[in-house]
Parts: sequence; C-alpha cells; structure tokens
Amino acid sequence: MLKFVVRRVLWTIPIILLVIFMTFWMMRAIKGSPFRRTERAVPAAVMANLDRKFGLDKPWYVQYGKYVKDVATFDLGPSLVLRNQNVNDIVKQHFPVSAELGGFAMLLAIVVGVPLGILSALRANRVTDYIAMLFANLGFAIPSFLVATLLIYEFAAQLRWFPTNGWDTASSKVLPVIALSLGPLTYFARIVRGQMLETLQQDYVRTAKAKGLRWKRVVVVHVLRNSLIPAVTAAGPLLGFLVTGSFIIENIFSIPGIGRYYVTSVSGRDYSTVMGITVLLSILIIVANMIVDILYGFLDPRTRDART
Amino acid sequence: MRKPRFAWPLGLVAVLFIALVAAGCGGGGSSGSGNNNATTTGGNANASGGTIRIAIGSEPPSLDPGLATDTTSAFVVLNTNVPIVYLGPAPDLKPEPALAQSWDTSGNTVTLHLRKDVKWTNGQPVTADDVVYSWLRTISPQLGADYAYQFYGIKGAQEYNSCKPSAANKQCDALKSKVGITAPDKYTVKVDLTSPQPWFLQQLSHTSFIPVNKSAVEKWGNKWTEPGHYVTDGPFKLTQWQHDASLTLVKNPDYYDASTVKLQTVKLNIITDGSTAEQAFNAGNVDVNETGWPPSDTARIKNTPAYQQFPSLGIYYYGFNVKTITDVNQRKAMALAIDRKTIVDHITQTGQVPATAFTPKGIPGAATINSESTFLKPTADMTLAKQYMSKVSNPVKNVTLIFNNAPGHKEIATAIQAQWKQLGLNVTLKQQDWPQFLKFLGPPPDPSVGAFRMGWIADFPDDINFLSIFQCGSGNNYTNWCNKQYDDLLKKATAEQDQAKRYDLYKQAEAMLTSKSGDMPIAPIYWYTFAYQVAQNVHGWNTNPMDEIDLRKVSIG
Repeated sequence: MLKFVVRRVLWTIPIILLVIFMTFWMMRAIKGSPFRRTERAVPAAVMANLDRKFGLDKPWYVQYGKYVKDVATFDLGPSLVLRNQNVNDIVKQHFPVSAELGGFAMLLAIVVGVPLGILSALRANRVTDYIAMLFANLGFAIPSFLVATLLIYEFAAQLRWFPTNGWDTASSKVLPVIALSLGPLTYFARIVRGQMLETLQQDYVRTAKAKGLRWKRVVVVHVLRNSLIPAVTAAGPLLGFLVTGSFIIENIFSIPGIGRYYVTSVSGRDYSTVMGITVLLSILIIVANMIVDILYGFLDPRTRDART
Repeated sequence: MRKPRFAWPLGLVAVLFIALVAAGCGGGGSSGSGNNNATTTGGNANASGGTIRIAIGSEPPSLDPGLATDTTSAFVVLNTNVPIVYLGPAPDLKPEPALAQSWDTSGNTVTLHLRKDVKWTNGQPVTADDVVYSWLRTISPQLGADYAYQFYGIKGAQEYNSCKPSAANKQCDALKSKVGITAPDKYTVKVDLTSPQPWFLQQLSHTSFIPVNKSAVEKWGNKWTEPGHYVTDGPFKLTQWQHDASLTLVKNPDYYDASTVKLQTVKLNIITDGSTAEQAFNAGNVDVNETGWPPSDTARIKNTPAYQQFPSLGIYYYGFNVKTITDVNQRKAMALAIDRKTIVDHITQTGQVPATAFTPKGIPGAATINSESTFLKPTADMTLAKQYMSKVSNPVKNVTLIFNNAPGHKEIATAIQAQWKQLGLNVTLKQQDWPQFLKFLGPPPDPSVGAFRMGWIADFPDDINFLSIFQCGSGNNYTNWCNKQYDDLLKKATAEQDQAKRYDLYKQAEAMLTSKSGDMPIAPIYWYTFAYQVAQNVHGWNTNPMDEIDLRKVSIG
C-alpha cells in the first residue's frame, strides 16, 4: 500500500507540469490581453509598461520557466487584473470558502443521496421508489441556477428565513449548500439504486439468503458494501467538481469563493490567476482520486492486490 | 467473515450536524439583520440613522487612485479621498474647489493653490509635494498605470511614460525631471501643459489625479490599499475589506468638511448577480441597489417608487468599418434605418435618450455643438434610408456585425439586423467575449468586420473627450475613418481658450461625423442613463453624468 501511495504521489509531479504547460499554452492560444478591460484603448507605451511589469514581454519559454520555478516555491505571482493582490492572497482568502461550500454540499449529497438510493432499491417499483426517483430525476434535470434563484425568491425574499446573499452566518450558508448539493445528491441516489438492484440479483446474495442470514445483515454486509463502489468512484471527481463548479452558485449568492475567480479570470485573461487556480485544483483532484483508490482497496480487496 | 462496519453514514450525519451547529455558533449574525424587516420597498428602519448598505456589482480591482480604472473602484476612491477639484452641478459641470482651493491659468500654465487644512488619516498634512510625488508615480513607466495617458497633456509626461527603464540607463530619470509638474512652495502646484487645454481643470476631477500618501505606499508596497494601511484624506475612511464580499467605510472626523457629512457608516456589499441584488433590495438587506437587475425586470422596477434614474455623459453607438462599407450613402442609409426610439422604449427601457449625434446631450455646449446634426432622427426614416441606398452603386449586401457578449447587446443587434434587412442587407451577427472582440476591432479592424458595437463614457466633461476618438491614429478609432480636416479642427480646439469659439469648432467636427454632409463613420444609437433602486428613507442619492456617486450629501432615516 505504501509503495502504491508513494508512486502515485511522485506521478503527480509530471502531471502538474503538464497541467501548467497546457493551461499556459491554452491561455495564450485564446486571443486577448489582460490589460484591455474597458472600452478605452490603452496607448502603446502604457501597454509596453504593463507587459514589462508583468514579464509578458519575455519569450514564452522564459515565462514558462519562471512560472514553474515560482510555483515550486509556492509563489503564484501577482494577479494581472486585481492590481493590489497576489494569486497567493486570492487562493488563501477564497479557496477555504469554496472548500467549505463544496464540502458541505458533498456531505449533504452523501448523507441524503445514498440512503435515498438504498431505500429506492429496497422498495423497487413501489410508491416510495417512484417518489424518490421522481425527486432524483427532477433534481438532476433542473439546473442549479434555477434552484438557487427559486430558493432565494421563496425562502429569502418572501419568507425571509435566510439572507439573500453572503457567506458569513450559518443561516446564510443553508440555501447555497442545498442548491449546490441537489445535483450530486440525486446523482448518488440514482447510482446507488441502480447498483443495489444489480447486486440484489447476484448469486452470493441468494446464497446468503438461503443459508438463513437475517435480511438486514444480508443488505448491510453483502449488498451495500458491493453497491457503493460506483458511488465512491464518482465521489472523487465530484468533490473536485463541487469546489470548482460552484461558480454559478457562488455568483448567484455572492459568495466570495474561488470558483467565481476562476471563471472571471479566464474571461479577463488574468493568466497568473487562471494558472494558479488550475494548479491548485489539479492537485486537489489528483489527491481526491488517490483517496478514492485507497478507499477502493478497503471496499474491494481485489483492486488493492492488483495495484500494489 | 468480518464484522460489518456500516455505522459511517450515521457518523457523517453526526459530523454534519456538529459542523452546522459549530458554524452557527461562529457566525457574526450581522447579515441576517435585515431578515425581520417587512418593508417591500427596501430599506431598513434601523435606529442608527447613519448606516447605509449599498449593493455594488463587483470587487473593486484597485483602490490605488493611480491604478483604478473602473467605476466601482472610482466610487470608493472618490469617497475616501479628496480630488483636486469636484465637479459642480450639471449641465455646466464646472470645476469647484476641493483640494485645490483656487487656481490661476495663464497660457499653458495652470497654478493650483491647495487647502492648508487637509490631513491624511495618519495625521500628516496633504501638501504640494504629495501631489507632485503622486502624479509622477502614476506617469512613471514602472507603475504600469492604465490611466497614465490622462497626464499626457502635461509637458514631458508622455515622454517619461514611454521610456524603457533599466538599471543601466539613466534616461528615465532625466525624463522624469523634465515633466512639467513642480511645487514652488508647500501648498502650490505648478503644471506646464503642452497646449492651453481649457478642459484641464475639469479633467483634474478624475480619480487618477488624486494624490496618494507616500509613506503608506512606500511602507506597504502593493498592499497599501488594505484596511489599516490605506492612508487617505476624504470624507470616509476604509475600515474593513473582505475581498469579494464587502467593504466598510466610516466617517472620517478629520475630513476638512466633516460637519457636512451625514452618514456614519457605509457598508458596500458586493453582489454581482443582478437578480440577487434585486432580491436583496426587496428583502430590505440593502438600501441601494447599484448592481442593477435583469433587463427583463426593468419595466416592473420602473413603476416602483424606489426607481431612480440619472443622465449620463455616455453613448452607445455602432461604428462602420469604412474600408468594408466604403460608400457613404450606404452608411447613411444604415444610420437612418435604425429605430432608436424603439430600442430605448422596448429593449433598454431605463430612460436612455435616442442619440441623433455623437456628442452626448448633457455635455457642456451640446445645444450648440449638435445644432447642425439634425439628419438622424430618433425614429427610423426608412423612406429616406431607401433613397440613399438606391444611390449606392456597389452596395455591400452581406454585412458582419460584431458585438461583445455582455447582456443586452444581442437584443439590440437583432432589432437592428431586422431594420437593416429592410434595406436589402443580409446581416450576420457575431457575438464574442470581450478580449476576442477587441482583437477583431484593432485598430485597424479585421477586414471581415462591417459594423461593430461600441460605447464611451466621459473621462471629463468636455466634448474633446468624445470627438478625439475619431482622430486619425486614435487607439479608440475602430472605423478606419481618417480625415485630416477633422483632426485640424480638434487641434485648433485644444488651443482655443474662448468657449464659444471652441464649441463652434466642435460643431464643425460633429457635423463631419453625423450631419447630412457628414461621412457617417458611426451610427449613434442612444445616450446612456444610470439607474438604481433607492430605498425611500435614503435622501440625496445622486450620480453625476460622469457616474460619480458622492456620498457626502447622502443621508438615511
């Protein structure tokens, strides 16, 4: 196991270098300058000063080399758009907010979604199943921005139970977490239900039942354990998605998270911010996938043996 | 067989519960304060009387007066600092004393006499040296200030800004010493201009001329705009800034005119989404919605007492690539075919004024300047348009119209596409994100571009700021139109001290653009307005035509 983990960690280095290179290349392939944000043209002299200040006048390989060197020392450079901030500050201030939002949403999705899927499978083709799956399909189909807007309208503007926006008090966190978790929640419910139904048909379940094991024990030990693997597989990338993909929710609720910066910095061509956040998120997703692999090992010892 | 370990979902429930409870205990409880308020028109009935909560649309990219380029940053900078001059009421927008108590102009020289009672929040007096230091800092090539070009009218400024700094050459230092900004004594600033530029005093109202505190800048580097570091001299001071969430400004008791300032606290909540800002206002969580709202809600909001609207020195226009649409008669036909009134009545809907000339209606002298530009009307003149179109020997039937992907542009483009179709033109709409869009515009524009959307909001209230856009070689001239006669008129205007004569020169220039005899490189569409939702208990809310919101006169309660 240790050898496996060490190898995975070492593999992340070339992957991160590749991520930096590709982001670097793509940001320059889409045309546009970070210094032309308004309808006012900037004189050539001013443009030259800006390019010089941020090193954009150097050849691309010099810029890339310097960037990699800076990243190695955990310096993500200055933001090209927010002129009094460094990317390190932006990450430090806004990443924890996104992580909190994504983490809570993930938790809610698991805590509600997984039992919902189990319940549906055990009551397959009965009223409980239909209601649960109707909810799951609706939740999956309705886009999060619509859910968010409806939640704000109903519970913040009309009933006034929660604030319309922000991320400071506990009550301000309720609506965005619900809005963000709805998609993954229903995804978990569907995936667990599907796999459970399949597992219930397996020979070993029949055997367990035949040898007189209590039904509850059959479900918990044999069915559930084997039905969760696809859910765990999905959970890793989903966690990454929840943290990065919360842009819409962050924007609607005015939450100072990193997702918002990610999107606005791409459209603003804020190269250093885009690259800084990309590097950070790739590390996050790589780590999440690694944890998934390790969890696999516990849920299904065969995968562990095959990989170590 | 191992013992089942399936207690973990229960464990997660417990963790979630604990986490939520913990978060609940840790919260400050401030943002929920408006929740119990049951008014439907926004506003809070809090007893403090002096706290206003404003929804603003973005994080201010920089509070450094030398680096701020957007209206949100300018809003905070202007209310925490003292500009060189304030602008008086519209329509004249004359310079009024601020940091400069009085001034003399003689030929190319402007002498500013500063107030002696303006203090930085660290206790130091604001002096002429601060002004000289700040201006040279903004002009310096090292700072990389976008607005360095605001100073190009000052002798030697452009040369200094254009030099390439390096340790080896001392060229930049030599150029710095030649810039025409000096401090003959502690409270006097002498400015040498390249030409008389009669608008220079109004230009001094711009935030880029606001002095910065040298000791704060040198001590904190680019972190000097953070609360606690941000040394200012204006009516309010910055006490809190949670990036991308909120800023708090508190009345500065040492401001030279503090007795006139009514508000105690200004809380700026950053709400980027228009729909959320509208809901926050309706729920009473903010007193003013400066962010805006979805265009589809305009008709409804307009009928509420909270709706307030102000004229702007700004124009929304379409430009033509005159190398693609070469025939002036076709450009005239296209300009005539635009139904401006329908666009402002049914698409934009916030009181915009159909623009029949390029010079905005609110600019000083506009009545004179636009007096000859009566060719274009608020409504479409399809008969005349078709007449002009019939004169075109080789009409360009396929026109590509490009615009950026901000809200609202597409609806206008679609309407104009239909109007131009009546002239027999086949218009292709091309929507792009902003940086891509600019790449297509040039200047010079991409040959594929036939027409494009553009806009302009004044930097200072003089028509030169608008008309100079279409000078040959101007970085904002995306039309390929270049006329020496036009340039000569504007050149004469920069030296013309007599206001009536200057307006007459502007009138001739404007006529070259949009009058019957003009070249029509552009088609004006509408003059902007600024619109807000303002709670009933907020008094004195006002935006001048430059989009400057001055909170000194605002009160609440």
